[in-house]
Amino acid sequence: MPVGPAATPDTALPRPRAGGRPAAGGRLGRTQYVWLALRRQPVPMAALCALAALGFGALAAHMVLPWNPNTMSTDTLQPMSAAHLLGADYLGRDVLTRMAYGIRASFLVGLSVALIAISIGLVVGLLAGYYGSWVEAVLMRTADALLILPGFFLALLVAYLFGGRFASVILLLGITGWPQIARIARAEVLSLKAAEFVESARACGASNRRIVFREILPNALPPVLAMMAILTSYGILSEASLSFLGVGDPNVISLGGMLSNGLQYATTAWWVPTFPGAAIFLLVLLLNIIGDGLSVALNPHAAQIGRRTAV
Amino acid sequence: MTHRYVAGRLVQSLVLMGVVITTAFVLIHVAPGDPVTYLYGGQAVSAQALDNIRHAWGLDRPLWAQYLAYVGNVARGNLGYSQINFQSVAAILADALPNTLLLMIPSVLLAAIGGVFLGMTAARRAGSGVDYAIGAASLVSYATPPFWLSVIFIVVFASTLHWFPTQGMATLGASTQGLARAADVAWHMVLPLGVLAWWYSASFTRLTRAAIIEESRKYYLMTARMKGLTEHKVFYKHALRNAMRSVVTVLGLQLGTMFAGAVMTEIVFAWPGTGRIIFGAILEHDYPVVLGFFMIIGSGVVLANLAVDLVYALLDPRVRYG
Repeated sequence: MPVGPAATPDTALPRPRAGGRPAAGGRLGRTQYVWLALRRQPVPMAALCALAALGFGALAAHMVLPWNPNTMSTDTLQPMSAAHLLGADYLGRDVLTRMAYGIRASFLVGLSVALIAISIGLVVGLLAGYYGSWVEAVLMRTADALLILPGFFLALLVAYLFGGRFASVILLLGITGWPQIARIARAEVLSLKAAEFVESARACGASNRRIVFREILPNALPPVLAMMAILTSYGILSEASLSFLGVGDPNVISLGGMLSNGLQYATTAWWVPTFPGAAIFLLVLLLNIIGDGLSVALNPHAAQIGRRTAV
Repeated sequence: MTHRYVAGRLVQSLVLMGVVITTAFVLIHVAPGDPVTYLYGGQAVSAQALDNIRHAWGLDRPLWAQYLAYVGNVARGNLGYSQINFQSVAAILADALPNTLLLMIPSVLLAAIGGVFLGMTAARRAGSGVDYAIGAASLVSYATPPFWLSVIFIVVFASTLHWFPTQGMATLGASTQGLARAADVAWHMVLPLGVLAWWYSASFTRLTRAAIIEESRKYYLMTARMKGLTEHKVFYKHALRNAMRSVVTVLGLQLGTMFAGAVMTEIVFAWPGTGRIIFGAILEHDYPVVLGFFMIIGSGVVLANLAVDLVYALLDPRVRYG
């Protein structure tokens, strides 16, 4: 019989419940609980608001700013002014306007990459965790192997050989991102499989499919969805890096591509490469702050333990 | 048990190497366009001549025969030839790799020393202001794309303050030797090294902090305290030592990402390493070089992870028997 803090159930989190929905009497489901715990943290919430503002700003930019992102002008390499708030690039295009389009593309890439990685990882993790034996062995060995292979360079090679169309870059990065999700989902399923409500569902004669999708999946979802922020930042940074290396989609305005094309003006017109890079930095920073907040919200116990035991 | 673990890891690494080579082979064959048309298609060559070239290169043989020949060549260290200057890809990369490592190894060491120290400090005072400050700093350095930080360093320290050179590995035209040459290279190295160390250190800090806090929940530390060991010993000999295992394992998995960071930093600073080779090869559509680069990175990462795991199997009985 194990005793002590490591073995006690996590009292801060409500026990997972069948269906993952709020139980009668107003008690909270796990997903709502995580949201509440996130809302209590000021810094991640501020980051979430800033990220939303950035997203809406990028969407509304073309209504406010007078410039077309692709129209060249004679304002070549003009520094910051009232007309060009963040200056103009080597073809006289407005940097701020182009950045707004770049941020849109970044959001699109990041969120799509996260969704693809989570979908694949969730299915693999559920199958591996629930069925065990050879299914688990095959799937998790594959995940381990993919985790070792340098996914970024694989994406680079494929994007280079096939021409980096926007959709294929998204698909590639999503495919390289799933193994860590599969690991988290599997660990979650393993602990849920032994839970009482799963056992009672089985005793009631529920089918495997019903148990996996109606009982286990909703409860396994929060820790996986908490990875959303981190995966989005992975997608944004990887797409920026691919575009920086010149294998991105040439028809899409990308922050990485803007930085790469402005590189030769770093010493003469610093604003051309610096501002697009700052946008990448800001996006990745905000997403990681939110990601940290989510992992604290999900596991407040770990933070408390850290505080109590001054090793 | 030891043998089974080691054998398992060896087999896995071998399979992964196979995956790397096969992926490369499949990708070239699936990719649009064939090399002969690409190279000679624009010239006034008859279809018969093109067929002759295909035959001479073995491109008309069945796919499995081509595959075996390809694996054989790679196994012998032959990664093909550049389509631009017809040099051997292996030789091109072998020339550039030392310059990349000259940049990467000191930055990893610097980041490891600084990051582990910071992570340790944060974990010992978890929840305090110091912990918070270190956490914020590591989050910022983690989010800084290395190619962007390189630009900022160039703008601030090179073109504005003139403390360091903007680009390259040595002063152009200078024919210095020995110590003067080393000093020149070191002076050129400061900025790219700073960028990489800054970026790498975030992972070390965050991983170390998390691993120590994870260790500190375990019972063997209580046992160690009950034995009457000093807090100093409990921390350094027990918690830290065991925490380092997960730090090194995770860092092994991040080796590819770390290399990607080095590649992009090299490009901004025009450092004559593999980064500049791959950038040039992408621009000039020199696909054998891009492919060879992928193969080197892929197998390098696989082997490094194998090495990490085997060393830990030697040092840590839990890996062998767990």
